[in-house]
Amino acid sequence: METNRFQLELMKLASEEGFEDSEIYYAGGKSFEALIFEGEIAHYENSISSGVSFRGIFEGKMGYSYSEQIEMECIPFLVKEAKENAQIMENDEKEPLFEGEKSYSQIEGYHEALCNVTVLDQINAAKQMELSAKEYAEEIKTVNYCLTAYQEGEIAITNTKGLSVRFRDNYQTAYISAIAQMDDDIKTGSEFFAGTKFESFLPKKIGKAAAEKAVMYLGAKSIQSSIYSIVLSNLSAASLLSTFSVIFFGDNVQKGFSLLSNKLDSQIGSNILTIRDDGLLKDGMASIPFDSEGVGTQNKAVVENGILKTFLYNLKSAVKENKSSTGNGFKTSFQSSVQTACTNFYIQKGSKSLDDLFEKMGEGLYITELSGLHAGTNTVSGDFSLLAEGFWIEDGKIKYPIEQITVAGNFYTLLEQIYDIGNDLRFQLPGGSGVFGSPALLIEKMAVSGL
Amino acid sequence: MLEKRIVENTLNAALKTGANFAELFVENTRKSNISMINGKVDKALSGIDYGAGLRIFHGNNAVYVYTNDTSEKNMLNMARQASEAIDGQAGSFCNRFNKSDIHNIHSIKIMPDTVSKKQIVDILRSASDSAFQFDRLITQTGSSYIHKIQNILIANSEGLWAEDQRVRTRFSIEAIASSNTEKQSGRFSPGGHLGYELFDQIDVNKISRQAALSAITMLNAVQCPSGKMPVVIDNGFGGVIFHEACGHGLEATSVAKNASVFAGRMGERIASDIVTAIDDGTICNGWGSENIDDEGTPSQKNVLIKDGILKSYLIDKLNAQKMNMKCTGSSRRESYRFAPTSRMTNTYIASGKSTPKEIISATEYGLYAKQMGGGSVDTATGAFNFAVLEGYLIKNGKIAEPVRGATLIGKGSDVLMKIDMVGNNLERAQGMCGSISGSIPTDVGQPMIRVSEMTVGGRG
Repeated sequence: METNRFQLELMKLASEEGFEDSEIYYAGGKSFEALIFEGEIAHYENSISSGVSFRGIFEGKMGYSYSEQIEMECIPFLVKEAKENAQIMENDEKEPLFEGEKSYSQIEGYHEALCNVTVLDQINAAKQMELSAKEYAEEIKTVNYCLTAYQEGEIAITNTKGLSVRFRDNYQTAYISAIAQMDDDIKTGSEFFAGTKFESFLPKKIGKAAAEKAVMYLGAKSIQSSIYSIVLSNLSAASLLSTFSVIFFGDNVQKGFSLLSNKLDSQIGSNILTIRDDGLLKDGMASIPFDSEGVGTQNKAVVENGILKTFLYNLKSAVKENKSSTGNGFKTSFQSSVQTACTNFYIQKGSKSLDDLFEKMGEGLYITELSGLHAGTNTVSGDFSLLAEGFWIEDGKIKYPIEQITVAGNFYTLLEQIYDIGNDLRFQLPGGSGVFGSPALLIEKMAVSGL
Repeated sequence: MLEKRIVENTLNAALKTGANFAELFVENTRKSNISMINGKVDKALSGIDYGAGLRIFHGNNAVYVYTNDTSEKNMLNMARQASEAIDGQAGSFCNRFNKSDIHNIHSIKIMPDTVSKKQIVDILRSASDSAFQFDRLITQTGSSYIHKIQNILIANSEGLWAEDQRVRTRFSIEAIASSNTEKQSGRFSPGGHLGYELFDQIDVNKISRQAALSAITMLNAVQCPSGKMPVVIDNGFGGVIFHEACGHGLEATSVAKNASVFAGRMGERIASDIVTAIDDGTICNGWGSENIDDEGTPSQKNVLIKDGILKSYLIDKLNAQKMNMKCTGSSRRESYRFAPTSRMTNTYIASGKSTPKEIISATEYGLYAKQMGGGSVDTATGAFNFAVLEGYLIKNGKIAEPVRGATLIGKGSDVLMKIDMVGNNLERAQGMCGSISGSIPTDVGQPMIRVSEMTVGGRG
């Protein structure tokens, strides 16, 4: 199917049916992934996919529809559904279409060298990753996931206001999870890679790191319920930040789903805390020159030295407060409407090494895994209570592994209780909307329940 | 949905390099989604999901390719790509399909796409009004509606040709209660493998008032104490505990890799002898039900645990081959973008003998988890976590003050053995389950149960 002709016909029918303005958002891509199990390719996957999202303004209101079938026969459906959807909309907020920026930042999103990596190289790397995990120690019973994946995507947005933008990117990911067992005690350890250079993917190192974690957790015990000092590892802090990032969204503040309303320009966190949202970050996995509305993305401090500097806005939420969009209007896919989302969202690193943080803490817990973030958190109140794993720290040194505990607290309070920040900033695996990163954080006190 | 000739040529092209099985899944799905915030339509979306997924087996390994360009040229190209991942001799070819007669056990009375969006909007508004009118402390509401009409075709090199239609409709209400410093929410999301008649079967206004009550109760709740204690988990969504802590560990996906605590334990005691657990994909109009699974095998009622003894895993075609066991009609996927694998359908603990009153009064001190939230599990270790949305302390055999912020943690294998009372009030509730083959509709369920000891995480 010719995409150009499809777009023209779609916009033509929309205009005939009474849409004042309309926009077509196209997303297409290819992906490859291979799952290795016991030295063989257990699962091998390839895909080519694309879809269009249509939206337009009918009688002053925005209506949406989408299709993965890009065929002429779908055009009447797209227009009819978008019109009906516009007609039932009741919020009085204006959702404008954007005419485009004068110019956009240049971002190197597509890496030719990465696209040329052969399937054989990919598979050999994954096999090495599995083998190095298995060979790490005799306690390693099996490797339950060993995955290598490549993805490339293209986004193009065109509207009747004159916007016409296009961006392509690609990246490589790998993930491994190893299982260690000693008698009845079973533990898992995982590690991953995400990047745009295949040379930076070091399969042996990653495999070994996953196995090492699994083995280190063996013999873990619970501890007495109490209040402890805590060092949150970089990735566990990033996962908390990811879950609670929604409190910084302009539309959540407006709807009363965030307790940060009226807090702009005031102290909401420890004065060493700086949180950035940087859509232009070099080699950032969520870097993109424009958001899903065509607004240019930015590098901005959301919280600087503990002071709340800005919320994240899309066009609609910005108009409501007579502000400009911060370039955070994203669709999670062509199937969704424009929401607010982060780009590369992270806590700026400090100067201390992990060992320095342990030393400063003296005695307490080093939390390396947090589970159940989609369930054990209340993003409205900020409360969380999460299953955790980690290590007991005494005299600034790791003593023994800890399991079957929960850490409970409140995210708003936690921001105030960040006592020190590590220098080991790391980002999570990309997925969904936005990519989140953090260094390790030393937290004054948190409620832990165990025995 | 796709011409027979294209299907045949695609399967044959895929078999060219020695695959022992090839399967094509084609899907054309129409979805509509309307959501309201504070009684006003905030989002309305509809669209078409369309595409095809081709899967081939080579021994115990699988290759999967998918696309939404189903032109013959592209399909053959995808088939070639898939076959090139295998190097072997030309295998068997397929040239005859036996059209399966699908016995439709889920009659749809009113197709949801024939109902005007205005009618849906009225229902959502009425739900929101009921929640607001319940109490002045309710400051926000979110109500939503979704329907999905999925048309599928499954054809494979064994000659299967199966076409089916799945229709699902769901309503959701969330009520938020606020005080000066706190916000708490209550939520219900009923749905089924059915059409617009869902709204004849549920009382939207009553459900919305229940959500409001739950939010208000939690607003006044104190922080939950932490430590080990007996926990009584109520019926309905409380079944999420079994789903996470045990159900996932019984899926062949982890059992075949020996990455589950329940691997190799068939016929052994894995739960206390009052526990019988079932996964039933045939429940009439059940949210997780379907006539056939995503490999074309008819859905079944599988008894997983009988009186504490492990009786069955949930097994898909590829893992059946690996484990040398039979398929259980449990192979599912979110869409053509995912290769199917063993998943749950409607999973529940069967009713026992105790009345809810007996269970509470037999508990000196403990936690009563009335409404459960979501959770997750590491199937390799069985370690799980769940949030308690609405909880109360039990003191001297009576339900006492409400508590909030509680999390239940433990290991599936321990908890199953520690279930010491099972109620007689089985109820199911609807959820979405996310795993390697995507997010799929599943029912969880149970009567009220008591676990003699569990770790409760809280801040009190």
